[in-house]
Amino acid sequence: MILVWGPSDDPPLELVLAALRHRPVDVVHVGDGDLATLAYDVRLADRPTGWLQVEGREVALESVTGVYVRPGEEVASPEAAAAAGALLLVASCSAATVVNRPEAGRSNWSKPFQLGLIAAAGFAVPETLVTTDPAAAKAFLAQHQRLVYKSVSGVRSIVSTLDADDATRLDGVSTGPVQLQRWVDGRDVRVHVVGDRWFATEVESDAPDYRYAGLTGRSVRLAACQLPAEIGRRLVALTRHLGLLVSGVDLRRTLDGTWVCFEVNPSPGFSFYEECTGQPIAAAIADLLVGGGVGGGAGPARA
Amino acid sequence: MIVVVGSRHDPVAAALVEAWEGAALCSAEDLTRPGWAWSSTAPASSRWVVDGAVVEDRLVTGVFVRRSRVYADELSSTHPDDRAYLAAESHAFLVFVLATTRATVVSQAADGTLGDEGLGPERWMPAATGLGMQVAPLRLASRRVAARRLTTSVVEVVADQAFGDVPARSAARAVALVEALGLRWAAVVFDGRHRVVAVTGARSPGAEATAALARLLTAPSPLRS
Repeated sequence: MILVWGPSDDPPLELVLAALRHRPVDVVHVGDGDLATLAYDVRLADRPTGWLQVEGREVALESVTGVYVRPGEEVASPEAAAAAGALLLVASCSAATVVNRPEAGRSNWSKPFQLGLIAAAGFAVPETLVTTDPAAAKAFLAQHQRLVYKSVSGVRSIVSTLDADDATRLDGVSTGPVQLQRWVDGRDVRVHVVGDRWFATEVESDAPDYRYAGLTGRSVRLAACQLPAEIGRRLVALTRHLGLLVSGVDLRRTLDGTWVCFEVNPSPGFSFYEECTGQPIAAAIADLLVGGGVGGGAGPARA
Repeated sequence: MIVVVGSRHDPVAAALVEAWEGAALCSAEDLTRPGWAWSSTAPASSRWVVDGAVVEDRLVTGVFVRRSRVYADELSSTHPDDRAYLAAESHAFLVFVLATTRATVVSQAADGTLGDEGLGPERWMPAATGLGMQVAPLRLASRRVAARRLTTSVVEVVADQAFGDVPARSAARAVALVEALGLRWAAVVFDGRHRVVAVTGARSPGAEATAALARLLTAPSPLRS
């Protein structure tokens, strides 16, 4: 039995559900809208036991072998919050293959904290300053000449650039912490790690944040690409080191060939990349959930 | 200097600042004041803002964390529309600070969380059972379940010291559990059958634990050597 939790209109979740339903496995889906009326009785001492009532069926937790977790942002009522808490506990403690365990995703709540973990795993990361001091921010800009600023937390923000003649804008950092990073020149590569497999997408864009290129009238082109096997294996190791089975890793390959890592997304919105490149990421996640498929040999995935 | 990271509205945080000589409160408001500088490449020059004043990280010997989150409602001097975002940013920044300060932090951020937010049963139950301790089962149900009255006892643990009116065996196991969780301070709650019911860092430390914490937080940090 595979348990899927998340909003029905979430594109990555839709793709995973569709892929699972093409496999000979029993699948149940808990939508965020179901939480307020979800019936459940979960007992936890080591592994969770008990049941959930989903889609009119009573699902024994012991029968769940795979869990895909991608909850929405908000829960509307105390009943929904309590049900979400029970499901999070199941996802954290179940012996099943869980994509991804909730606690493993928390490092992404603080990007500079996660950057420290990425650096400790041996990847190059951009020099970073988090500050509320305009003088410190200006000195950092003077040192590096070009910076990006972005959110410190997991709250999504549009990455923007600052050049040397933008120094006066840094007076605004005095009202709350701002994350500044040295600008790194190069080509963006997004890598989705799924168990031991990886899917690399090269991004060609003239926007500082290619995800929002359309909003700013800039261009973006995505294409599947080959990743050096050593980098792929290191990304698989990094993903596991962070306690994840699936991740979306933001990298930039610099002009001198260095791979700089910016972030590891524990709940990647991979559907955008899958639609642009045809990479079968959802299918790989479904295989992972059905087969528990890690340990089958690391390597690049083929479309 | 000891920094107590907490709320201006938390009487326990205020009492600890009062009890510990040279201690000061780092509030949510401080997280949004000018003066912070925290660099990934020059940690030695990092600076806090504590009780409105800029403090170099090298002067901070210990940090006691009394919060699990930074709440939007604490940021009363920020425009209401910006409070939720700024609270999330301040929280994330605080996690980074606590993970990289050279001071002794009680208790260190785990998995990107603060305080009890990262200390749920999914974390302490496996640690307890791994040490051979019995745990009281937790039940979460959508329908109302009759609650049983629990008789509990509490062991407060500060590093390798245990405080509380419990058998020596329970005290020793509590110390082992707190160490296994990578914590330097926590209260371990047992039921009448000596099963672990909860582990929390949010309890107000008793007099003996407060004194032990003061010694821990003023001792030279191994990270500075």
